[in-house]
Amino acid sequence: MASPQREGFSIPASISHAALGQVTSKSLGVRYNCAQCAASFSLSKNDAIRCKECGHRVIYKARTRRMVQFEAR
Amino acid sequence: MRAQFRTLEREQRFQNPPEDKSAFPLLQDAVAPHIGSFNALTEGADGGLLNLAVKDIGTKTIFDSNDTDRLGNKLRIRVESVQLAKPAVAANDKISVNRKTYPSECRERMSTYRSRLMLKVTWSVNDGAEVSEIREAGQVPVMLKTNRCHLEKFSPAELVAQKEESDEVGGYFIVNGIEKLIRMLIVQRRNHPMALIRPSFGNRGASYSKYGIQIRSVRPDQTSQTNVLHYLNDGNVTFRFSWRKNEYLVPVVMILKALIETNDREIFDGIVGAETTNSFLTDRLELLLRTYKSYNLYSKQETLAYLGDKFRVVFGATPDVSDIDVGKEVLKRIVLVHLPDNTDKFRMLLFMIRKLYALVAGDCSPDNPDATQHQEVLLGGFLYGMIIKEKIEEYLQNINLQIQSDINRGVAINFNDRKYMSRVFMRINENIGQKLQYFLSTGNLVSQSGLDLQQVSGYTVVAEKINFHRFISHFRMVHRGSFFAELKTTTVRKLLPESWGFLCPVHTPDGSPCGLLNHLAHKCKIATEASDVSEVPKALAQLGVSPAHTTFAAGPSLCCVQLDGKIVGWATHEQGRIVADTLRFWKVEGNHGIPVDLEIGYVPPSSKGQYPGLFIFGGHSRMMRPVKYLPLDKTDILGPFEQVYMNVAVTPSEIENNVHSHVEFSPTNMLSILANLTPFSDFNQSPRNMYQCQMGKQTMGTPGVALVHRSDNKLYRLQTGQTPIVKANLYDDYGMDNFPNGMNAVVAVISYTGYDMDDAMIINKSADERGFGYGTVYKVEKVDLSQSRRRGDPITQHFGFGDDEWPESWREKLDADGLPLIGVKVEEGDPIVAYYDETLGKTKVKTYHSSEAGYIEEVKLLGDDSGDQEGQMITIKYRITRQPTIGDKFSSRHGQKGVCSRKWPQIDMPFSETGIQPDVIINPHAFPSRMTIGMFVESLAGKAGALHGIAQDSTPWIFSEDDTPADFFGEQLRKAGYNYHGNEPMYSGATGEELRADIYIGCVYYQRLRHMVNDKFQVRSTGPVNSLTMQPVKGRKRSGGIRVGEMERDALIGHGTAFLLQDRLLNCSDYTQTPVCRSCGSILTTQTTVPRIGSLASIRCRRCAHKLDTYVQKHGYANDSDIWEDGQGKKFVGGDDTTTVAIPFVLKYLDSELSAMGIKMRYNVAPR
Repeated sequence: MASPQREGFSIPASISHAALGQVTSKSLGVRYNCAQCAASFSLSKNDAIRCKECGHRVIYKARTRRMVQFEAR
Repeated sequence: MRAQFRTLEREQRFQNPPEDKSAFPLLQDAVAPHIGSFNALTEGADGGLLNLAVKDIGTKTIFDSNDTDRLGNKLRIRVESVQLAKPAVAANDKISVNRKTYPSECRERMSTYRSRLMLKVTWSVNDGAEVSEIREAGQVPVMLKTNRCHLEKFSPAELVAQKEESDEVGGYFIVNGIEKLIRMLIVQRRNHPMALIRPSFGNRGASYSKYGIQIRSVRPDQTSQTNVLHYLNDGNVTFRFSWRKNEYLVPVVMILKALIETNDREIFDGIVGAETTNSFLTDRLELLLRTYKSYNLYSKQETLAYLGDKFRVVFGATPDVSDIDVGKEVLKRIVLVHLPDNTDKFRMLLFMIRKLYALVAGDCSPDNPDATQHQEVLLGGFLYGMIIKEKIEEYLQNINLQIQSDINRGVAINFNDRKYMSRVFMRINENIGQKLQYFLSTGNLVSQSGLDLQQVSGYTVVAEKINFHRFISHFRMVHRGSFFAELKTTTVRKLLPESWGFLCPVHTPDGSPCGLLNHLAHKCKIATEASDVSEVPKALAQLGVSPAHTTFAAGPSLCCVQLDGKIVGWATHEQGRIVADTLRFWKVEGNHGIPVDLEIGYVPPSSKGQYPGLFIFGGHSRMMRPVKYLPLDKTDILGPFEQVYMNVAVTPSEIENNVHSHVEFSPTNMLSILANLTPFSDFNQSPRNMYQCQMGKQTMGTPGVALVHRSDNKLYRLQTGQTPIVKANLYDDYGMDNFPNGMNAVVAVISYTGYDMDDAMIINKSADERGFGYGTVYKVEKVDLSQSRRRGDPITQHFGFGDDEWPESWREKLDADGLPLIGVKVEEGDPIVAYYDETLGKTKVKTYHSSEAGYIEEVKLLGDDSGDQEGQMITIKYRITRQPTIGDKFSSRHGQKGVCSRKWPQIDMPFSETGIQPDVIINPHAFPSRMTIGMFVESLAGKAGALHGIAQDSTPWIFSEDDTPADFFGEQLRKAGYNYHGNEPMYSGATGEELRADIYIGCVYYQRLRHMVNDKFQVRSTGPVNSLTMQPVKGRKRSGGIRVGEMERDALIGHGTAFLLQDRLLNCSDYTQTPVCRSCGSILTTQTTVPRIGSLASIRCRRCAHKLDTYVQKHGYANDSDIWEDGQGKKFVGGDDTTTVAIPFVLKYLDSELSAMGIKMRYNVAPR
């Protein structure tokens, strides 16, 4: 079994989460897709879970743009 | 032979789902009983069953006075009509563009697919003008693909657009995101009196005998009322019924006299008829009529008044109703409720009494309640309607109760005031929908009346989507009732020939539900609407049946003609047969206005057989099946009642002149969907086919293709499913290729490495690496932050990270929004969601709890019902890869299951002359005792099919003694240049030498079963223990141990393995060392002393010790080194005669329990 560090891409741990742009990326970074109309949008923290376009109440989280990599063994 | 692969066709269909209709109409037919019965609630004559139900409930009368002298104002209130809307978002929702709610949203949001139930409540005050108001009675769960569902008439293309399967069948409900269906239940055939001999009938009272006639009569709204006639040992007859779970007994003559204005002569003639010489009958009739004289009731009015007086309280009649009217109400609601007319009820009762006497005299045999002939199916939709009816009745009662309590509390009551009425409505529980949701989610029936059913729970089941076989089987399942499951006798479980063509003889589970849980044969239909029988009486009259009202007739010497439990007329037996035959000809011909699905049950006269007559049925809930009618060469619809007395040839070749009237379309019609899919099942030993029906349902297959839009707790998916080379034609008709359930494998039957013994199988390692049997498990975890909060409280927990300090490592798995990254791998202990708790001011995480690593497949954010709050609920779907491992279970389609024991390297596998190496090796010993010849045939057929590139038809009963599959497929093999018999010389993979024997090798379709070691393995060396007994806990989930039980213990004793026994039962369990007092022999009184400076702690017995001051008083002084001190600082002397022994810890527990009862245990410790 591979060590956990080698599993997946990890961001350098040296920078703090303030430097990562934690506050700004909170609302902008993560995209969501509506389950009904497939509209893509982002949500801020206190938003109700509704599609911005059609008002649907199921929202999928979009796949991360971060690199996800596993060892194929 | 028409089996084909149709690969392109399927490909096309998946790319462009049909825009007109489903390609698999058979699938729709399979669930038709469920959908049809639900549709019947709201459509059809008289506005559907629900509207019939409210009509039957009638009007409730309420008076507003508390006085006994005067009644006060009279309020008459009823529900005029019922309406059920289609599922939609709440009216106050302004944001939603699409106002319809679709099932996929309910599955994902774990909500209920339901719609508003509206009751039009109408009332009048003091018989004045009627006022009505539409009341909403909550939201009722709605069955999918019914007329209350948006999907009803959707084409496959539209279904796919709504995130359903392209061939979604519906027939189930969605309750809290779980798919539930009401299972079909076998009940007594309606409106037909059944003769019973039950010893338990004798328990009713002193003179009660075991003889009875039972009739389950059904009202137009499908609710039923059972009436029983009991034979008393003196020859009397009583009428029994239950009302609101209480039993009532009434002399039958009283009922007869109350029904119509009659006299003793008429009753006598109606029962005895022309057989006045039959002294058995006349004696009893005389007694029956004489004993009734004691009541001194002569006219109909007198009798009704007497009945009304007795039942006034039970029926809750108001004081303004006369006794006579109450009596009429009793007759209307209780006696033979399927007949609206009292004269018809009277005649039917006479018929029943005569049948009872015939039964007692031994002139007719008892009817078998376990035979399909006397059974029908209670459909989910009808049961649902019955519950709704009862809840509406309760609703009216609640209004009454509310007004009563207002009267008692002295609230000002004014029925004419709309405000007051609104107040009444406001104060009662109007939410009928919630009660139905409870029914569906628990399967428990909460009912005042019991609905004439024998059980209170187990009405609903989850429609599990393990694979498509399992899913579709749910809808074809009929249960005998949980009452029969507890019965010690096995008679109810027997497979009777009567059920031919209606219930599948193969498809029943083994074990406790065997024979009680059956499946409908695949061509069996169930009537969800009544046939139009309006022309039948005319046709009968035309055929010479003399009408009932003009005929002086009774008894089994004549043929009684009944239509849906109503006596239409009488004929001679010879005439009866002709009538039945002509009627059948006409109904198949179809031009006399007689429906083709009419059931014409002609029971011929016999010596001590079933009571004769011509019984015609056209009602709901009957089982029916199509067969070919020979005289016209057209389709006839058969029912189980008539089938018993008919000659239906199974194959055209066995038709005999003047014997057979019908022939089966195909002998496979008697099998269920699943049993039909077993290839060459006619070559297998029967139990193996039963096993396959079970295993087909446990296969890790393809549950569906719209998996992205589902949130099932656990889903199994086979990644490398294939269409079988060998398949029955029905496989394609049912569209099974949309949901592949296994893969074709090259199987060699050989004892090769020794790893294939005892039903183990060897898998070719390279086949495994190519994806043989590769599967995935999807698990869904719901995280609901509002669960920890009470309703109405403000939100204190928010998804995402807070501003406080939290470990940086969490961000490896979690995104900025606190939810996991899609696609990331999670292992035990990894964070899966972060949330900020306001009250603690801290960011917390929930962690992944499974020893098996998974990948985040989907994260769904779910809005709440109102849709204006911050998100509190998410679901996370994990994908857990399940490559086949040693210990995983596989099976062929012939009940031949085995466990993978090794993945053998390809280089070491044996190879044939063409260089083929098997994917799977099974041991030859799997065959002789199990006799699954079908598997050999499949192997042969599969091999020939693979070599020629053709699909093979494996429908049972297509081969015969003259045309054997061995020759048919052998010839194909020979043409491909292979051995005719399917054997081939093979070479050892290890040495390269030719094996001494030729090996049987071919292609068999293999299923991977869902039982996998990864879900089952259980090991432990040390781990959690029960704190009370200090023994290891049980349960795999808690990493507990496996119990060495009594039988295991017996085996160890039998082997004389004393040390092993000691090890298992003591050392590895609750081994403890404990101090014991030698002098008093107690283990509870020893304790550790507080160590003093300069000396170690020691063990002393407190019981044998003396308190320091009493010791000093007695002995004058105490040696300083003898004094010891306990934890509380008390000083003692003595009690030092202790030692340590090894005991099981429970002994200590036992000792303390016993001492609590005042029993002391003393242990004699040796050597002293």
